[in-house]
Amino acid sequence: MTNPNSWLNRYVNTLPERGWFNFLSRYVVVPYWIWKEPRPKLPGGPRPSPQPSESVQRMMNLIMPLKDPSPAGRARATMAIAQNVDEIFAGLDNVGTVHFARFLLIDDNICMISVYDGDFSNYIRDFITTIGSVFDDVVSLVEGGEALLPTEHNVEKFIDWVHDHDLFQAPDFPTDLFGLQDAAKGLAPNKPPHMLESLPRDLILQLHANRNISLGGGYRAYPGVSAAQVRRKFGQGW
Amino acid sequence: MLHVLPGQSEYISKTQAGGDMDDTGMAEKLVRVLQRPDGDTALRPVHTFGISATGFFEPSPIAGNFCVAEHFNTAKTGVIVRFSNGSGSATRRDGWSDVRGMAVRFHLTDNRDTDLIAMTLPEFFAPTPKTFLEFAEEAAPAPYEGQTPWQKILSLIQLKLPKRDPYPGETISPDDGAIRFADQNAYAQLGVLQAATIGAPTSYVRAAYHAVHTFIVTAPDKTQRWVRFTWQPIAGVLRTDPNLPPVDDYLDAELQDRLGKEPARFSLMMSIGEIGDDFEDPSRPWPPHRIRVMMGTLTLDAVSKNQLELCEKLSFNPGLLTDGIEASADPVLHIRKESYEISSEWRGATPCPFSQR
Repeated sequence: MTNPNSWLNRYVNTLPERGWFNFLSRYVVVPYWIWKEPRPKLPGGPRPSPQPSESVQRMMNLIMPLKDPSPAGRARATMAIAQNVDEIFAGLDNVGTVHFARFLLIDDNICMISVYDGDFSNYIRDFITTIGSVFDDVVSLVEGGEALLPTEHNVEKFIDWVHDHDLFQAPDFPTDLFGLQDAAKGLAPNKPPHMLESLPRDLILQLHANRNISLGGGYRAYPGVSAAQVRRKFGQGW
Repeated sequence: MLHVLPGQSEYISKTQAGGDMDDTGMAEKLVRVLQRPDGDTALRPVHTFGISATGFFEPSPIAGNFCVAEHFNTAKTGVIVRFSNGSGSATRRDGWSDVRGMAVRFHLTDNRDTDLIAMTLPEFFAPTPKTFLEFAEEAAPAPYEGQTPWQKILSLIQLKLPKRDPYPGETISPDDGAIRFADQNAYAQLGVLQAATIGAPTSYVRAAYHAVHTFIVTAPDKTQRWVRFTWQPIAGVLRTDPNLPPVDDYLDAELQDRLGKEPARFSLMMSIGEIGDDFEDPSRPWPPHRIRVMMGTLTLDAVSKNQLELCEKLSFNPGLLTDGIEASADPVLHIRKESYEISSEWRGATPCPFSQR
């Protein structure tokens, strides 16, 4: 039987906080497992669901890497949004299913964060219809964006591109990651079940495949309610 | 004539039939298998140590729109609540990581009561009595030694979490068996994972408690909804520091001290299930995006003076419901009704309300 109070045991318990161990983990252990058991990148956006409340207040976390991340390039991205505020706001009003939307500059990315109701493809399609010209300005500044221009004529391609740049939404329940990884490999989820102790490794390898992720589906103060219902209830509808 | 919300109608026939259980003798087997070698048959086989407090429940202004039950339509209903540690060991270990329980009895008019039993784990370990029996057999407490330092290093290199060290005085544990079972049965994985990492609360009133089973509530217009209840602490959730040595006995004194100074409150939240949710499977929690209704506030203002009669001898039962609230077809909920009766009888407690009929 191991003595939990032995010097060696106490030292091993502190390994995850020790610099040399983290260096070893970062540059040797994790790369080895990435090589040995790579995980496919999991798709972005909310997953299909039959529940009505899953079809409202859906999250979009669109991360678009800038071609020119210098301050001047970031200023160009800022101007692309600032010069089109009227068009963006009018377009969002016309789409009608958006609760919140905002653009952010984070490091080398321009990000669009929004909460919307209904189908993802329809949301993007409506967007292109209403503010496609703004997206042309933004996408022209983004890596790989030139192939999508003009977005109005490349709607399906643009939808796929947005889906690819929308963050993977980690499941609300951690063990659901097993099934999502199985599905990404074309396997039946949890057949056979995974070893529970492998969950940390699966998560680490997934975070290599999906560098940025949304941590769960988020909190909602009034779940299950659409933007249209909120506006109608408060007498602000159209 | 009952109205059922869209998406929920397919469940009504099974529910009204009371499920499709064939669990003869199952309740007794479950109580027996849960008894730990370090437990005491004069005490509860699980949630052995607890403390009761009294207070009242006040429904929110909209609670009555969703449920006709008396306590959702009366200004104030008296309650007695038993908080507990999940373990069935006869030695108190407040500071160990463990699921905690919160059993609430609402005192209705005409000497009637109704119970709502909840725990800090948001889901159960198994979807049926049979699978829970299998789980409980596999997870029976067994000698626990943790890992050697070399085994821990191997785990870390494999990007696995090392096992925790045994607590001071801990010789047996259900952990290894529970994990072994979860490795073979995916439905148990979430419960086992969350139970293993649940920690210890700084206070019984600083934890959220989930009633895990689905109930059917009836509104004044006869609309029926499939729902689950959660108690949210107004004081907020706060756990102890897992890196500090655990303290064996602090929760009862903390509650007494706290309620001596000021009341403690919980919000009762009700989530409404939708088509595709698991209405009959308590091992599967519902996502946090379901419509959530604030049903009322529980206020606790005193620790019961007679803990023997009003805590240890008291027999709660998740099947003790009232008009306006029905059990769903969840087979675990149904077997728990019988198991609680048997447990009450075996330990010589004040008879369970069902036994008094």
